[in-house]
Amino acid sequence: MAARLAEEWFAICGGCEVTILDIGEPLLDVLKQVEIVHMPVIMDHKLFGQTGENTEMEIPAADVGLISGGIRSEEHKKLALEMRKKCKILISLGSCACFGGVPALANQYSTQEVLEKVYRGSKSTETNGLPHEQIPELTDRVYAVHEVVPVDAYLPGCPTTPEMVANALVSILEGKPLSALSSKSVCDECPTKREKKAIGILKRRYDAPDFKPGAPLGEMRCLMEQGFLCLGPATRGGCGGTDGVPRCIRAYMPCEGCFGPLSEKANPMVDMMGALSSIGLDPKQIPDRAATFNRFAGAGRLRPAPRR
Amino acid sequence: MSDTFDPLIVALCCNWCSYTGADLAGVSRIQYPHNVRIVRVMCSGMVHPNLVIDAFTSGADGVLMCGCHLGDCHYQEGNYKAEKRAEAIRLMLADFGIEEERFRLEWVSAAEGPRFAQVIREFTEQVQALGASPYRTH
Repeated sequence: MAARLAEEWFAICGGCEVTILDIGEPLLDVLKQVEIVHMPVIMDHKLFGQTGENTEMEIPAADVGLISGGIRSEEHKKLALEMRKKCKILISLGSCACFGGVPALANQYSTQEVLEKVYRGSKSTETNGLPHEQIPELTDRVYAVHEVVPVDAYLPGCPTTPEMVANALVSILEGKPLSALSSKSVCDECPTKREKKAIGILKRRYDAPDFKPGAPLGEMRCLMEQGFLCLGPATRGGCGGTDGVPRCIRAYMPCEGCFGPLSEKANPMVDMMGALSSIGLDPKQIPDRAATFNRFAGAGRLRPAPRR
Repeated sequence: MSDTFDPLIVALCCNWCSYTGADLAGVSRIQYPHNVRIVRVMCSGMVHPNLVIDAFTSGADGVLMCGCHLGDCHYQEGNYKAEKRAEAIRLMLADFGIEEERFRLEWVSAAEGPRFAQVIREFTEQVQALGASPYRTH
């Protein structure tokens, strides 16, 4: 019997759904054993019946539920509760579902401030009233899915890796437990050369790092020591999959931190400021610390600045 | 008992200079306020910003970081690292809504018992003037 799969998306760009497609050929084998019962991005299954005849929202019962995106509105909240009720295993897919992701950068401001800026304050905006008809109310901030309903497994990443999604689906189909997330940091898995001292000042992202094309990564100096802001020290590893080398480092780019902090309680901003000053970079050069270091982990971490 | 505010201060003192300096203040019977809780660390250079921020968010009213004088570090350059980190800590205090004056970095050598007591007296007064930390729950 095929496993029933439900998928729902909230505050997200849709990249993690593309990742499912990005699994490639193995996806064909997986799909034979899966029956998709609800997935707004690819199928027309309406929540209140196909002609809107029902009064109660309904998602069909499923063995596996995937949720991508953080929770930003009351509608998302209700859908998350419904997904939890109907799915035996619920998985947070992607960094937005796991830690709020990029939309959670808005948590630095109150919802009122965000609405004011978007619909009235911004210079290029024609100032009309706030949209209010037929749309669900916004929550006070962006929540990660597990802050609203219990979640059984997390597949972080922006977007998450096809390998991780495939492994998770195959494990579920075979009745095996899902593999745990890596407990190592990106730095632990990074092959670059470290000398524990940075050279000079922080560089901008568009400056090219110093490396020999084609040479093994082990010959390149650590990107942070070269002056590029790399979130490796405060970010969970595992994005490299079986290859082991972190995804961005493989492309000679510094880590952006999409796999989220190393633990639930970790504060990446404090970790990163410590790491920067420890190797001799000037922490004053980063104008937007909180957002830069919590780029993907804003849910529960970013909040409006305290007023004194 | 007086009515003045009784702050809770955590002092992170390095093993080689400041902790010994505190010890000297003790054996010399120099009086200083009881508000300070001294934590011995091997070097001021091992005090990660995490420790300081955690102390504050767990309810400390003030945090004092003490190390050897610059150039005197037992590990050559640990206190230079501490100085760099203190800069990062001061920047972040604002993000957590904590007054910058609640944090202080001081150099106290093993021979400076009276100076240690003086630093504690000054810092306690300073924190007392600021009142309770916004993270204090009791």
